[in-house]
Amino acid sequence: MITARRFFARSEPWVLAAIVILSLLIQARSGQFFTGNNLVDLARAFIVPGLLSIGCMMVIVSGGIDVSFTAVAALAMYITDKILLQSGYEGNVILAYAMSAGFGLLMGALNGFLIAFLRLPTLVVTLGTGSLFTGLMFGAFSASASDVPPAIVAHGKETLFTAVNSDLGLSSNMPSQILILVGMLFLAFLLLRYTMLGRGIYAIGGDEAAAERAGFNVRAIKMFLYCLVGVLAGITGISRISMMAYADPSTFQGMELTVIAAVVLGGTRVTGGLGTLTGTILGIALMMILANSLILIGIPTYWSRAFTGAVIIIGTGVTAHQIASTHRSQRDLKKT
Amino acid sequence: MASTVLKLEGIEKSFGGVRALKGVDLEIGAGEIHCLAGENGSGKSTLIKVISGVHEPDAGWIEIGGRRFTQLSPIEAISLGVQVIYQDFSVFPNLTVMENLALNMELMDKRAFMNYRRARSIASRAVAQIGFDVDLDERVENLSVADRQLIAISRALLQNSKLIIMDEPTSALTKKEVKSLFSLIKELQSRGISILFVSHKLDEVFEISERYTILRSGENVAKGSTTELDHRAFAFHMTGREFSAESYRPAGPRGEPILSVRGVSLRGCYSGISFDLAPGEILGITGLLGSGRTELVETLFGITQPDSGTIEVRGLPAKIRSVKDAIRKGLGYVPSDRLTEGLFLPQAIDRNAVIAVLDRLSNGFGFLRRKAVAETTLRWIRELSIATKDPSLPVRTLSGGNQQKVVLARWLANDLSVLILNGPTMGVDIGSKYDIHALMRKLASEGLAIIIVSDDLPEVLACASRIIVMREGAFVRELDPASTTESVLGELSTGVA
Amino acid sequence: MKKILTVTLGLLLCVCIAAPLFGQTYDAAKFKSSKPQSQWKIALVPKDATNAWFVRMEQGVKRYAADTKINVFQKGPPKTDAAMQAQVIEDMIAQGVDAICVVPVDIAALEPVLGQALSKGIVVIAHEGSSLENILFDIEAFSNEGLGQALMQVLAKSMGEKGSYTTMVGNVTNASHNEWADAAVAYQKTKYPNMALLAAEPRVEIMDNLDTAYQRAKELFKKYPTLKGILGTSSLSTPGTARAIDELGLKGKAFVTSVGMPNENKPYLKSGTVQAVMLWDSAEAGYAMLAAAVAVLKGEKIANGINLKAKGWESMQFAPGSKKVLLGKSWVNITKDNVDSFGF
Repeated sequence: MITARRFFARSEPWVLAAIVILSLLIQARSGQFFTGNNLVDLARAFIVPGLLSIGCMMVIVSGGIDVSFTAVAALAMYITDKILLQSGYEGNVILAYAMSAGFGLLMGALNGFLIAFLRLPTLVVTLGTGSLFTGLMFGAFSASASDVPPAIVAHGKETLFTAVNSDLGLSSNMPSQILILVGMLFLAFLLLRYTMLGRGIYAIGGDEAAAERAGFNVRAIKMFLYCLVGVLAGITGISRISMMAYADPSTFQGMELTVIAAVVLGGTRVTGGLGTLTGTILGIALMMILANSLILIGIPTYWSRAFTGAVIIIGTGVTAHQIASTHRSQRDLKKT
Repeated sequence: MASTVLKLEGIEKSFGGVRALKGVDLEIGAGEIHCLAGENGSGKSTLIKVISGVHEPDAGWIEIGGRRFTQLSPIEAISLGVQVIYQDFSVFPNLTVMENLALNMELMDKRAFMNYRRARSIASRAVAQIGFDVDLDERVENLSVADRQLIAISRALLQNSKLIIMDEPTSALTKKEVKSLFSLIKELQSRGISILFVSHKLDEVFEISERYTILRSGENVAKGSTTELDHRAFAFHMTGREFSAESYRPAGPRGEPILSVRGVSLRGCYSGISFDLAPGEILGITGLLGSGRTELVETLFGITQPDSGTIEVRGLPAKIRSVKDAIRKGLGYVPSDRLTEGLFLPQAIDRNAVIAVLDRLSNGFGFLRRKAVAETTLRWIRELSIATKDPSLPVRTLSGGNQQKVVLARWLANDLSVLILNGPTMGVDIGSKYDIHALMRKLASEGLAIIIVSDDLPEVLACASRIIVMREGAFVRELDPASTTESVLGELSTGVA
Repeated sequence: MKKILTVTLGLLLCVCIAAPLFGQTYDAAKFKSSKPQSQWKIALVPKDATNAWFVRMEQGVKRYAADTKINVFQKGPPKTDAAMQAQVIEDMIAQGVDAICVVPVDIAALEPVLGQALSKGIVVIAHEGSSLENILFDIEAFSNEGLGQALMQVLAKSMGEKGSYTTMVGNVTNASHNEWADAAVAYQKTKYPNMALLAAEPRVEIMDNLDTAYQRAKELFKKYPTLKGILGTSSLSTPGTARAIDELGLKGKAFVTSVGMPNENKPYLKSGTVQAVMLWDSAEAGYAMLAAAVAVLKGEKIANGINLKAKGWESMQFAPGSKKVLLGKSWVNITKDNVDSFGF
């Protein structure tokens, strides 16, 4: 049962409203928002942060925070790229995805081990491993921008359809990687909603001690979670370089903050326990529309950061305010 | 006594050389409400964990439903019908009532997938057992504490429980909620379920339980039927100390008043309040919640400003516009909710103790003189016998009574003339309660003027040298504790004869 | 109070002692070699021995050896690492070389060892290290102004010298990127009256990210259908924008150029989306560094207009206000015809 009160206490409707308002604003200022090719462009920009946000959201729901996933994505894709280039691999791109996911899994397992078994704080661990992975990439592998193997180039050229804007004679291709995003979202939805493992992630975020007493294997769940984040990051790495046909090791730098901000914007509670994929998708959508429409709105470059920052503060502020007000009403309840 | 549900004999348990349980026995009959009492650190929690299978005993045996065990797993305990309701209820605040009720069952059944239809039917069944009317789709964090407890109880009942252990179940409940909890416990009893009620609150032990077991330092010190137990015996068993309950009399004649209150009023809170307070006196102000007692002392401490009336300190008119003013005039205040208002819980004990005197302990540059801090702290930790290994530990590591002493230490470190204590022993265990009472008497006899605000009538009677009863914002009567009783005070407070 | 005074005095003292270490100048004339030219030994130490950019630089070194018969060689660390580079330089000092040419990895890490070299009378010439203190001269391929003008020439040619354009920088806080772009715009205003800077978005930022360059270019072409050109500074501008041009179907209608690496731009140069990107040739830079070192050893006066004999380095000018940094005009247009010849 969803009552009106419960519906508006959630953040999804508000983020959606913000997206609608922003879209209408962009349409009014540019006349270009609701064109097929613009929507395809936005969908394309959505793929990489969207993939990263899935794992990020799950970690925050579990009561942790991960700031290493972009470093994992970069290192996993870079090693994969180099190995495939040097071996002259000519085959299918699936191997690239599998390899990168595998490297991501290893790095995620390191995070998981430190967090689940040594019980170290997640922020400290992932700050550390994030630096470690980035350091390995630039130090041990002396990474610099590189070509990509033919399989990945070909994968990047796969197009689902082309949206043509006949007024301006512009067209945009929908990349096939969007299918990976859709697939991952669907799997994540099933995991979170219909498996005890997924419910366990929420339970741990709500009360770890209670989860343990209820019979959840908290360590195993955390281990699984950080491994999953690693795998998702590895897959994201290949998606990214295939879309640009170019492997730039610093391509993910700084993106973790955008993704975390978007996840929180989408209503995921920073202290854990609450968060939905719908909200996350909407949060990322809002951020990506914003980031890729400033020119369309006509905001000068020098103002774009201030504008983006203001939207994040207002958006997360609304979420924080909601949390604060529910807390307040609970305290009042206790007093009576 | 009917058949036995649970029997423990000679249970021992040590943690790293510390003997927490030294051969404890416990026997609970079917359908019995049994109280397990003991102060903090007496071994109550360890014993519960042995019964629920969390800890494996080093020696002794456990008999449940006629079967004997030398050790139990948590799963075995649950399948034998033993359920624990922890102090924090072990609920998931972020999940719905439905999931909170169903998840444990589903995990017990080793399900890998979540079936919401099945969960809903489990949840409806759970709440129906105790006629608990709640929206299954509400998130638990939006429920009251009492409702969360009901969820924990309904969840426990799902597992075909024979024995429900409730760990300090009333600690966060209001009086009304405690009443309905007790009637629920009686209802469960009538269905043949045994309850092990863990508490250190005397009144509750008397009201709800039929039989009791008291632990002290990991040993059985008393057991029997509750009807044969009285206040003094209970306090003695709990603490191992004899307490005399004589009332406090200031030595010598009453001096000049240090604090004079003349006709102060605050709209909606209290009106026309006048009284004098002399050094060496303990003034008890009692009254029901909402009688204006707390608002009155908050005015004295400068938290609120009165609409009219005057306050004099040492015979001079005093304008107390802020807490700072009050402190400067030698007034100190210990609020009733020390947890949210008085202490910085994560901060170290010593820091908390000296926070009111930082000005005095800092040098000309505003830096703290660490040595002076350490000396002041140590002095008061000794004086108040605060039980801590290390003053640099955070305050939240202390028990309620010791936390209260830290708050006291803070004020005593500041040279005070008047100390106002609001609910000075609320939520404090018996031993500490007597310690605090003794301390108040000692401080008063040394010349401090004390006001205690409390609805704990025995406490007021035992400590105060004068008692003022408040009702609906006004003073009803002033009484001499030596010539009055609890029932008189109760009638005056409620206005019901 | 006393403490504060002591600390302040101490700090002042430190500054006084340290002051001579900063801004120290060496007199190049004192580094004239007394040995015959045939006994000179000159080492060029790049950032990284295996990196393609420096592999190309070594070709310039070999050409210089062939041209002059002087013993010059290149020796770099196995990977880009400041400590390893310092180690290589120490080895060179121990071998008794007469001059060291260096492309520094990390300025601060090299100062001590370069100071040591100078104190032993070894000539030190740097490239891409204009803020180094312990050198005789630093030679740069171009001035900011010169590069901006050159970029504008390429873009103007692609656009047929008419139409609307805008500039794209790696980061709005990147000083040299902004100087290049400013110079390009100033040059356009005097030379190409039929071109116009897009007033609404005169400078776009790509956060040094290829994908952002692509996204920004797409936005620009959607919002401003008359936009015909993008002048980029960051090497990521061209591949990102070119991909957007291809995808939007604007090939032949919209143009882009920037500083760029041959390999990254090869597909777009070959397909004709991009006509040219700009680069300086590391082989020429290597050749010029050695020529500068030899000039010092010969005791020639290093002054405005000196010819370092490499392409684009024929008439070096001191940077405004500097007596150490020399600027050339060495850039090459990388087009579909020469893109394969660089090896990187």
